Amino acid sequence: MPKKILVVDDEPDMVTFLCTLLEDNGYATCTAVDGEDGMEKTRNEKPDLISLDLLMPNKTGIKMYRELRKDPETKDIPVIMVTGFAKDDVPQMDFKKWIHERAIKPPEAYIEKPVNKEVYLESIKQALT
Amino acid sequence: MNGLYRQRGEDPTQTGSFPAPTRPMWTTLTNPVKKFTSSLSFKLSFYAGFIMFLAVVAFAYHTIFTQEESLLDEKIRAAIKDTEIIKAAIWNGMMTKDRQVIREIVAALGKEEGFRDINIYDHRGVLHYTSRTGQPEGPAAATTNSHNPLLANLDSNTSLRYRFIDAGNVLNVVNPLNNTAGCAAAGCHASPSVEKVLGALEVSLPVQDVRQKISEHRRKTLLFAVALFLIVSSILGLVVIFGVLPPIKRLQRNARNLAKGHYAPSVANYGSDEIADLARTFDEMSREINWRTAMLDESRRFYEDLFETVPCYLNIVDPDYRIVRGNRAFTDEFGDHTGSFCYRAFKGQETPCRNCQVEKTFADGLSHRGEQVWTREAGTQEVHVVVHTSPILDEEGKVSQVLEMSVDITRLKNLQAQLEKKEREFKNLFENVPCYLSVVDKAYRIAYFNKRFVYDFGDCWGQHCYTAYKARETRCSNCPVEATFADGATHSSEELWHLNGMDRHIILQTAPILDEQGEVVAVMEMFNDITELRLLQNELSTLGETIAGMSHDVKNILSGLEGGVYVVDSGLRQGREERVRQGWDMVKRNVEKVSDLVKDILYASKEREPEYRECDPGEILTEVHDLFERKALEAGIEMVKDFEPRMGNAILDPKEIHSAVSNLIANAMAACVSSGKPSPRHIILHGSAIDTRLIIKVSDDGTGMSQEAAENLFKKFYSTKGSKGTGLGLVVTRKIVEEHKGTITVESTEGEGATFTIDIPLMWPERIDGIETHGSVQRHTGS
Repeated sequence: MPKKILVVDDEPDMVTFLCTLLEDNGYATCTAVDGEDGMEKTRNEKPDLISLDLLMPNKTGIKMYRELRKDPETKDIPVIMVTGFAKDDVPQMDFKKWIHERAIKPPEAYIEKPVNKEVYLESIKQALT
Repeated sequence: MNGLYRQRGEDPTQTGSFPAPTRPMWTTLTNPVKKFTSSLSFKLSFYAGFIMFLAVVAFAYHTIFTQEESLLDEKIRAAIKDTEIIKAAIWNGMMTKDRQVIREIVAALGKEEGFRDINIYDHRGVLHYTSRTGQPEGPAAATTNSHNPLLANLDSNTSLRYRFIDAGNVLNVVNPLNNTAGCAAAGCHASPSVEKVLGALEVSLPVQDVRQKISEHRRKTLLFAVALFLIVSSILGLVVIFGVLPPIKRLQRNARNLAKGHYAPSVANYGSDEIADLARTFDEMSREINWRTAMLDESRRFYEDLFETVPCYLNIVDPDYRIVRGNRAFTDEFGDHTGSFCYRAFKGQETPCRNCQVEKTFADGLSHRGEQVWTREAGTQEVHVVVHTSPILDEEGKVSQVLEMSVDITRLKNLQAQLEKKEREFKNLFENVPCYLSVVDKAYRIAYFNKRFVYDFGDCWGQHCYTAYKARETRCSNCPVEATFADGATHSSEELWHLNGMDRHIILQTAPILDEQGEVVAVMEMFNDITELRLLQNELSTLGETIAGMSHDVKNILSGLEGGVYVVDSGLRQGREERVRQGWDMVKRNVEKVSDLVKDILYASKEREPEYRECDPGEILTEVHDLFERKALEAGIEMVKDFEPRMGNAILDPKEIHSAVSNLIANAMAACVSSGKPSPRHIILHGSAIDTRLIIKVSDDGTGMSQEAAENLFKKFYSTKGSKGTGLGLVVTRKIVEEHKGTITVESTEGEGATFTIDIPLMWPERIDGIETHGSVQRHTGS
């Protein structure tokens, strides 16, 4: 039984790419277009890991992450954060720092766009073990 | 004081000292006779001797006269007695009428020693008898003897009479012969009894011996008197010469020395007489005078020194404005102008100065003060002085001269001028420094400001700073002026002021203004309007954010491309065609995005002027509407046309207006799609030309946006569209509108939709004249 990974991203191209990559490497995938959708899919599909984009309409990845961590049912699901922002580009958008400053368990990994396939797969592999 | 400041020229050898005493007259007389006759010894001996001489002479003559008188009296008495004897002798002869007896008696008596001659006259004065021989007798001789005045008036005066004749050497006595009873009865030459005198007996007696004796006596007395005079004079002269003159001469010598100013205390033993007392008194007086003179000399020297060395110019001016005297400082600096008019000497004027302090002091006798400009070195150099004048009074209390005391303040004046120049420079700097400057006092009132300040803030002198700058009624919190008053240091703050209906960013710096004690008495505020800078800063910040956003965008596109390439590869590897197609679509889409992005970036970054053409805005709106209508319908959005398809030709850049409206429609569609609201949603495209304005509105009932989002919308990179937008659409739209000198605004309520309004000043072709356009205006007939 392959591990199921939920890919949350508002960009369809990204979703296509990540799903193709994950499926090629033996994972099962499901998708969501924003935070709202992502929470619903998490509860329904019960994925083994969530690949979460940060900047999305309706509900951002940050809000969804906070919700995930609050919910006892989902708080142990490993999360890989995928973001287009590097802290060097926009210092005030240093999410890593932002999250660490709060009493929330940090995500298992951060992956910056453009996604390096090997790093991404390795991060997922480690998070799942 | 008068002695000290006496006129110059009186005694050129003794400038400023006492005049020499006048030499006594007697020292100038050289005639030795006069010298002798006026000497004390001469006067004393001569006059004492002379008085003695006169006394002796007077006394002697008095004695001699008395003696002479008594001797003559004796002679006279003897003569009278003789006449009586003769009368008696001849009486018998007469009685007997014996003429011969009488003649003999007379002749005999006449020969007697002691008688010169004896004559007998009758009452008519006829000589009858005489002792002189050869003398006629009888009436014939009557006339010859009638000259004797003693014979006159014998009838009326029968008394005996006498006289001296022949220079007093002969006594002539006439004794009348009275008529008696016997005679009248006689018959001879009897005379009537009524006749009292019958004749007269005249006897002449020589008195030469008496006269000789007296004369001898007088001569001896005179000789004695002369001798006495000489003796007394000599003795007195010697006494004076040896006893009186030496001490007097010594006194004289001392007095002369004293007069010359030499005083040597006398050590001589004066003795104990009055002259010695006088000499001692004189010595005492000399000592006193010497002491006082020394004191006076010292005091005079002191004042002289003071006058000469006092470090200011001293002048004494007489009522004609002539310089009587100047001190050393004055003559060293201006030369010796003694005797010149003061106004000519060092002011180069021909008439007295106006507002002259000397004149005032002469007029009212008071001190006066003033400033004057003198010249030196032939008028080439100006000297500024402060002049004080004081009156010099004469014995009657009138102003005889004026003392002019002047202090050179040229250096001070120069310093003052320099100071004024510096002050002007600083003021100039203060006034023209390219920022606002104001000075605020401790009551926070504006006490001073520069030109730039007045230009923008108006004259707010005396107003509270917070009222003038911020229209406040109370002091601001975090006031840098207050901080500077408190610690004397400079402070700065950045503030937002509301000026002329606009928010202005002001950067303000304060600096303390200190008094002599180092206390902060006021604070200078220097401030500048940095609103433009802030806007630029914001724009830069926006640009930074835009670049960041774009980099995000680029990363997304790259991710998309990379993902597409991977999906194509994966499809090819697995021989899955649909996957290859899917991946290829991704590649194509992202290439298109790159293309759009680059175009937008190029557009947003390029400064360009619209390519104006004559076109109908209605046509442009119709084109945009038609372009999006099908897409919108697919997304469940209804597009509403709210404009006239023919609005008339205007001057616009049709391509740009097309892009701007297209961007707004694309945004509106995205907002409608992402709102998740049920279909149909609406986009209203409104267009109207009101007089000179073209109004285009794009309204949607999509997600809308917050107030903050609305405000930032046109400023920064802002995308809510995820992968579907470049984030530059509205930036480009705004740029187009602004190029057309128009404005774009947005009104929105979150969750209910938004309305974007473009307002462009419109140029109609008939009004194009005089409006500067770039490029040719061409007729546009749609794309």
